[in-house]
Amino acid sequence: MKRWMAALASALVLTAFAALPARAADKVVLMLNWYVYGEHAPLYYGKAKGIYAAEGIDLEIQEGRGSAATTQAVAAKTANFGYVDVPTMMRAAIKGAPVIATGVLLQTSPMSVMGLAEKNIRKPEDIKGKTVAITPADSMTQIWPLFLKKTGLKESDFTTVAGDGQTKLNAVINGQADLLLGYVMDQSMKIKDAIGKEVYPIKFADYGINMVSSGIVANTEYVKANADVVKRFMTATTKAVEAAEKDPKGAAQSILDANPKGGKIDTLTQGFELTIPLYRTTETKAKRPFQVTDQNMADSVNLMVEYGGLDAKAKENPKAFYTNEYLPKGGS
Amino acid sequence: MAELQSRGGVSKALNAAWVRPFLFLIFIVVAWDLSIRLFKIPPYQIPAPADVVAVLWQDWPELLRQSWPTTYATICGFLLSAAFGIPVAMLIAGSRTVESYVYPLLVFSQSVPKIAIAPLFVVWFGFGIFPKVISAFLLGFFPVVVSAVQGFKSVDPDMVDLARAMQGSRFHVFRAVNLPHAMPAIFSGLKVSVTLAVVGAVVGEFVGSNSGIGYVLQRSIGTFDLPTMFAALVILALLGVVLFWIVDRIERLVVPWHVSQREDIILTA
Repeated sequence: MKRWMAALASALVLTAFAALPARAADKVVLMLNWYVYGEHAPLYYGKAKGIYAAEGIDLEIQEGRGSAATTQAVAAKTANFGYVDVPTMMRAAIKGAPVIATGVLLQTSPMSVMGLAEKNIRKPEDIKGKTVAITPADSMTQIWPLFLKKTGLKESDFTTVAGDGQTKLNAVINGQADLLLGYVMDQSMKIKDAIGKEVYPIKFADYGINMVSSGIVANTEYVKANADVVKRFMTATTKAVEAAEKDPKGAAQSILDANPKGGKIDTLTQGFELTIPLYRTTETKAKRPFQVTDQNMADSVNLMVEYGGLDAKAKENPKAFYTNEYLPKGGS
Repeated sequence: MAELQSRGGVSKALNAAWVRPFLFLIFIVVAWDLSIRLFKIPPYQIPAPADVVAVLWQDWPELLRQSWPTTYATICGFLLSAAFGIPVAMLIAGSRTVESYVYPLLVFSQSVPKIAIAPLFVVWFGFGIFPKVISAFLLGFFPVVVSAVQGFKSVDPDMVDLARAMQGSRFHVFRAVNLPHAMPAIFSGLKVSVTLAVVGAVVGEFVGSNSGIGYVLQRSIGTFDLPTMFAALVILALLGVVLFWIVDRIERLVVPWHVSQREDIILTA
């Protein structure tokens, strides 16, 4: 009888403890800059490996429709965080959008003009006489005039065709265009998936275009109101990137686990591996991801004002566009 | 029904056909401006009407230049819709067999989102004006066919029989009885079709173009230039209105006898 009573008592106590509300994780929505491709691997890897959960964050990743649209969504608080091209975010911020970059991941530009390797277009001079496919007013097309200037090319040296993202890919795949403007790890891999041929990208960074690219952005009001969540999110994302760098294939696989139609494992892995060198510049070689230097940001702002059509008043305070204070310090 | 028209100048002005929609438009613009002020909507989400008007005023040469390719694609697409749509409707209305084979498939194809297949047109037809024309044609085709079928089917069979009984050949009867009776319905379909053709042309431009209002729209979205984006939308809307009005005028010439064309007559003492 006594034993029965003891068992009942302990069962009741255990149930009471179990019924206590557990500390709920914070729901966070991260919207990407585009449909998923290799560059996004660390984010999915972090979610799959519980790195976000360990920081008390219940992460939902949504695909986006361009950095401009995602920045608008973050400004309108439809998404908590955005993974976007930071120069595009600057364009919105200078027009009054309440957005700020809480971490700049790609400190070197992934922008490139790429074509099928078999066409042997390896140097800017080879672009003469060819057809280039662009999307009007997207992030690369806005910097394209600067690339032309740096490489001594003129608009009249080649033919331009314009279309949306899918049309650009179709044009190169079907031979209607020789080259397209794209990210070194995105369209090249999509073309490889489609027709199995290698693509050779001429990187803008190789020709003196030093500009930051993708990073995490958030609404300034959200950051003020939820500083702790932002800190934990950036800590988790930093750890996720570091873990993914050590396991590229696993990271790429986590994309497919979350989104089986997200691509093919080999090209997603290759795309991610192409992204890793862009995380750091010579100054930040030994640092953790996201720790962009003030000089790099100031250079990017200057470039955007000169060639990207960014309002000149941006130069007065480049620090208004980003902050490193929510990043984790030192080693994990 | 007769109606005495007031001699007063103001009410005469108010009765002019274009004044009332214009006044309503002014009302909408004022309401738009008030909402922005009241709800403190930021300029990167919805631009103020004053900014949009400023863009229209300053950039009108470039905007006008960009309107031509869009207008051209719209009109060509629309004319193709009419040229193909009306004969197809005649076939469908004239033959049960054709109707049972073709009509359901036509309805099925209408639900295919044209924006999804527009990139394919660029692959097949290149970057010229043709894919935009096809895009405008595909969007405008269905309303023409549906209304025209309705029109052809609603011809009074007794009239047809009477005309045949008077030894009218099939062609003569068609020209004198079927076609005129179907015209009002055909025109209502054409009016819907022309506004959809504008949409089709813009979709075609979004997907693959260096010029046109769709290109202006795409470019302004990428640079967060909302006043220009809204200015482009205004121009597209105006294009639709102008084309609709033109089709309406043609309708007045072709079917002046129809009940929808009657105006209030004024009886004076």
